[in-house]
Amino acid sequence: MAKFPIFGKNCVRIGLGGSISMMERSYHSLLLACCLVSPAIGEKVDFEKEIKPIFEERCIKCHGPDKQKSELRLDQRAVMLRGGDSGLPAIVPSDPKKSFLIEVISDEDSDMAMPPKGDPLNSAQIALISKWIEEGAEWPGQMNAVVEEEGTDHWSFQPVVRPEVPEGTINPVDGFLNKALKEAELTPNKMASPRELIRRVSIVLTGLPPTAEEVSDFEKASAQNSQRAYEALVDRLLASPHFGERWAQHWLDVIRWAETNGSESNLYRKGAWIYRDYVVRAFNNDVPYDQFVTEQLAGDQLGVGEATGFLVAGPHVPAATVGREPTAIRQARADRMDEIMQTVGASMLGVTVSCARCHNHKFDPISIQDYYSLTAVFQGVEFGGRYPEFSEDHPRRKKAQELYPRLNSERNILRKELGFWEENWGGYSDLVFPRTKTTALRVEFDWPKVFIDELEVFGPQDHRKNLALASEGATLVEDPELITEGSKVWKANDGEYGTMGWKGLAPKGGKKKPWVEINFKEAQEVNRFRFSSNREYYFETDYLTSGPNGKFPTFRILAKQEDGSWQELGGSMKARNVLKKNGVARTASQSLHKHIESLAEEGPRHSFIGRFKKPGVTKVFHRGSPESARDEVPPASFKILDGDLGLDSNTPDSKRRMAFAKWLVDLKNPLTSRVMVNRIWHHLFGSGIVPTGSDFGLAGAPPSNPELLDWMASEFVKEKWSMKSMIRLLVMSDAFKRSSLPGSRGMEKDAGSTLLWRYPPQRVEAEVIRDSILQASGKLDRSIGGRSYRIHNVKKTYAQWEVTDNHGADTWRRLLYQERMRRVDDRIFTAFDFPDCGQVRAKRPVSTTPLQALNLLNSDFVVEQSELIAERAAKEAGGDAGKAIQRAFELVLGRQPGVDELKAGLEISKSNSLAIVCRSLINSNEFAYLP
Amino acid sequence: MNPEHLSPFGRNLLDRRGFMRNTAFSLGGLGLAQLLGAEAEDDPLNFTGKTPIRPEIDPDNPYVRRPSHFEAQAKKVLVIYCPGAVSHVDTFDYKPDLYKFHGQKPPGIPAVTFEGPTGNIAKPFWDFKPRGECGKMISDLLPNLGSHADEFCFIHSLHTQTSAHPQGENFMNTGFTMEGFPSFGAWVTYALGSENQDLPAFVAINDPRGLARSGKNNFGNGFLPAAFQGTDFNAKNPPANLRRPKGYSAADDRATAEYLKRLNGKHLDRYPGDADLAARIASYELAGQMQVSVPDMMDLSGEPESIHKEYGTDTGTELKREYAKNCILARKLLEKGVRVVQLFNGSDPAGGNGITNWDSHSKISETHAMQAEIMDQPTAALIHDMKRRGMLDDTLVVWATEFGRMPFLQGNGTGRDHNPDAFTCFLAGAGVKKGYSYGTSDRFGAKAEKDPTSVYDFNATILHLLGLDHERLSYYHNGLERRLTNVHGHVISDVLA
Repeated sequence: MAKFPIFGKNCVRIGLGGSISMMERSYHSLLLACCLVSPAIGEKVDFEKEIKPIFEERCIKCHGPDKQKSELRLDQRAVMLRGGDSGLPAIVPSDPKKSFLIEVISDEDSDMAMPPKGDPLNSAQIALISKWIEEGAEWPGQMNAVVEEEGTDHWSFQPVVRPEVPEGTINPVDGFLNKALKEAELTPNKMASPRELIRRVSIVLTGLPPTAEEVSDFEKASAQNSQRAYEALVDRLLASPHFGERWAQHWLDVIRWAETNGSESNLYRKGAWIYRDYVVRAFNNDVPYDQFVTEQLAGDQLGVGEATGFLVAGPHVPAATVGREPTAIRQARADRMDEIMQTVGASMLGVTVSCARCHNHKFDPISIQDYYSLTAVFQGVEFGGRYPEFSEDHPRRKKAQELYPRLNSERNILRKELGFWEENWGGYSDLVFPRTKTTALRVEFDWPKVFIDELEVFGPQDHRKNLALASEGATLVEDPELITEGSKVWKANDGEYGTMGWKGLAPKGGKKKPWVEINFKEAQEVNRFRFSSNREYYFETDYLTSGPNGKFPTFRILAKQEDGSWQELGGSMKARNVLKKNGVARTASQSLHKHIESLAEEGPRHSFIGRFKKPGVTKVFHRGSPESARDEVPPASFKILDGDLGLDSNTPDSKRRMAFAKWLVDLKNPLTSRVMVNRIWHHLFGSGIVPTGSDFGLAGAPPSNPELLDWMASEFVKEKWSMKSMIRLLVMSDAFKRSSLPGSRGMEKDAGSTLLWRYPPQRVEAEVIRDSILQASGKLDRSIGGRSYRIHNVKKTYAQWEVTDNHGADTWRRLLYQERMRRVDDRIFTAFDFPDCGQVRAKRPVSTTPLQALNLLNSDFVVEQSELIAERAAKEAGGDAGKAIQRAFELVLGRQPGVDELKAGLEISKSNSLAIVCRSLINSNEFAYLP
Repeated sequence: MNPEHLSPFGRNLLDRRGFMRNTAFSLGGLGLAQLLGAEAEDDPLNFTGKTPIRPEIDPDNPYVRRPSHFEAQAKKVLVIYCPGAVSHVDTFDYKPDLYKFHGQKPPGIPAVTFEGPTGNIAKPFWDFKPRGECGKMISDLLPNLGSHADEFCFIHSLHTQTSAHPQGENFMNTGFTMEGFPSFGAWVTYALGSENQDLPAFVAINDPRGLARSGKNNFGNGFLPAAFQGTDFNAKNPPANLRRPKGYSAADDRATAEYLKRLNGKHLDRYPGDADLAARIASYELAGQMQVSVPDMMDLSGEPESIHKEYGTDTGTELKREYAKNCILARKLLEKGVRVVQLFNGSDPAGGNGITNWDSHSKISETHAMQAEIMDQPTAALIHDMKRRGMLDDTLVVWATEFGRMPFLQGNGTGRDHNPDAFTCFLAGAGVKKGYSYGTSDRFGAKAEKDPTSVYDFNATILHLLGLDHERLSYYHNGLERRLTNVHGHVISDVLA
């Protein structure tokens, strides 16, 4: 591999309007400057005599021709106008207050105080410089000098240019690779055997090894026509629903997606998994990459609302655990924005954007203004949940359309049998009653204590319009004798869910119970009353011992008559009692609640996929601190890549994200396609053409085959951003099909197999190990998507997640569906470099540790599965011990045992058990490596 | 590589080129030439003018001993970590002015701190007395630890960036307030490997009540290879999956190992020279050794009665007894050459306020007393025992917590809120001044005053004591050479012996 190329950062060129030959001047004027108490009024400061000597004495050593600390020099006016890494202009002519130079030389305490060594400048010197700036910072000979931001010559910021394909191969990819091999005088390996090939391509494309039957079928077909057999195999695998599962895993790694917040209580993010299902579906449906990107940034506008789970994939500190200090609250918000920057930067841009949070990027042409402009794009995003927006043909919308008629038919039964009934929606409870026209409703609770965050009333005309809202003119009245301090009844109809609500508290032991009256502005036709105690909490999190439990207080509901009396419409206690007696109604209510449950699992559901709010003005945070907000910046992307989106601080949130998405997938953007084809390459060959897949900047590694990368990037766009087409093209190459066996010459010249003279052998990931074991035992539940399977406890809010069962039958799904808890050890597979989801992970490291060995030898999961594989092998062998060994080999390794392996295996299965043989197979290197 | 622990496979089949490839592969994909050959002038990643020193990780044995950057007295480190924030003004940081202003609210006290409205200044809840020959004022809350004052080097001027526990724990233990960074122990293990190949290089002895608030972050590997994470066990609970499965015999394990050897041998024949295959074989042999050596460490029955008595394994509350056993375990592990032992005294607050760690927002007089009862005697005994055995000559001891507590009470009048602006930790043992105090907080202990010390400085100093340059110990991750100290930190040379 080549060493880092050495680039001149940013390539700043100074164009000089005048001469700069004023370096050799005597220092006599310094003395003069120091003697001045204050510059005489009316007399202009003389730069040459009064200012320059100060700079030369105290500044130029670090900020001059020899060194340019923080990219700043004080011998060039133009550079001072531009400013250094802080992103702030050192001087703003006529405005000393805005001149960063004045700030740092006046500062006595902080580590930014300048000069850093020796005495600070005296007040006369500071006054002098200040006055000089005030007067326009005149600098003889340099008044016309400007910094020409020439751009960058870094390769990844240059446009993609489609190179000529070298001749002589069918697959263009091989053309590029063979050229490099020829130059290195390396002969590529022969093709892998059909058995190796099917194992390799099946795992790489779907994460699952082939079954024994698939192996033998492919071997037979290959003997007939190897090319055709392989093509058919690849097409079958690309069409498999497991393809999306495998590739979703890679994408989720990059954006460190997980189902908990991280931080203090590491709370579960309810419904976050619908984003994971979106990613699986997108890969399976071969959603074009430009669309995939756009949906994840602005899916709320495209009928795939859950795709914005992308934006909130990273960890966050919930507001409730930050503390009450306003500075801490602001810092936490800035940290959340930075998580979004990391997600977008690492996955789609391949740029380490966060490096420009406190100062201009050290290596790449990204300024601190760029960083905050990019945060402005996402200023309307907050970590939390919402109901996703779904198009008509969205699978969840369709499910709802299927379920609602069934729901309604149960309601019809209840209407007929009872007239009024309860519907428990988990987060809130509804009481439906016969339609009534009234000016007021009265709710009388049976419980002495009720906590209510919101009361709502709906009518038959519009089941979404809350008639009890204060903004609709409705008012609430509570029992004047029960008014408690700190409780405000109007909070129960202010349209806000959460902890801040109304408390109805009756004295203990008394007969009094709380009630509330809902007075409408005018008579309304109503038939549904809804209330909740903390709806937000119910929607946002789950699996807590102290969480909302879906239990609601019982009550009676009454309507005001024209004569002012109250007539009862129904009551929840009564509804429950009637259900006990009426079998038909009971069955209907049960089915209704089953449908409600199905709706929550498979239909539209409130999910942790981010929520949107009106974005405020975005300002640059000097040195990354929200406490030093400086200039306002518009929503925009990187200046160097024409990131001006034509937006300003008034642009609504949705428009910002959409405009950014358009910029990202614009064909002129040189990063988007390169970054993704490189990622695809990485997951097929074990390492990217650019090994640092989420950093295409100067600090990343350069491409090992730049022509190939650019050809692929251009081909990707040409093929309408089809990920499957790109993957197909690559796995059809000779390079992918080569044997992985080490040859002495290849090992000598290119042991890392960078040039792909052989297919590089790789360890399979945690997912492949676990899924393959389950497939071997025949216990793998292959259903796609849905709620993650649980291996942890239901915990107290501030407790840690603990593994309770990581091996039972409920967990026999693909590891992709294991609840992905940030920084929680699953006690088996985490040890296999499974990411902790704290930081973006373009590439998992590969460790070899004794803990992995212990987990794979002794965990309940492996022990049980060894038994199950043995059981299956014995059964399918029809009682023949030898055949059982053969079958176990087929199931685990996809091959027949050798003579010695069979003999030794038989001995062990006699003296110990067949399960011991299976346990050994699971632990073998052959099982853990891609052939 | 440690040849006596390797089978013939391991010994014969490691070839240098394979090793090079693996090294490059495991270090985030950078070519070895870049990793080893970069000079200061042409290393664009360099922030400080210092090139990274990247340890050569032998894939065959990631825990093999590796050289420090420079000669240092400390070879091993014991970190005693007290989650929840220990009140410095009630323990080690004596402030006579608190008596003077007791019950008053002098100007300058903020109206609101982390948990809400503030109350009045409160004198220490325990009296202070001079301890040891150095006469250090330490409160009656920790009399046993206090009696070893002559061993300790206090840092009274620590300050942190956050007043929330999880971020504070992250910061102390990983150098960042955010999630996902490698722990201190992982960095040290990555740099130095271990002195003992039969035991994990880095052991996190968690509190009997469970993990602290930041959970695995405190001893996790972050983005470093998983090989460098702390192995989580204590005197009561072995590491996960260490024990032979129920119903399995020694013969079953032997048969598994033999058959595995056969399978792997055959596979290796096809891939001569592939070092990672041999490394994986070796890892199974190491696992086998751990199955013997770890239970041996956990078994405290061989310790004399006097030791049990000194540590207090049979007196006091159940929690104290358990913690005392963990202290003996810590000593045994360090004796055997484990590189990093991180001993926790407290867990997350799931059990309720103040019951599971040092967090004391209300009734600090009770909650701190309860925690101190657990920590004081066993910890003091551990340090004393290590000294007696000469272990402090090559072991650094770090006693730490995430921040301090306020000199004034909370609105409730019984507890002290979080104080990120001043707190105390201490060092002891190899390379550190004895009976010394560095830096001061202000007259009330509200803010660091003389020689303010950041967490970066603290961690830089600990690395320095272990012979590591905090500016050069780095790992490439997503665009940056990441360090424990980010781009900050100065070694506090004043505390060095």
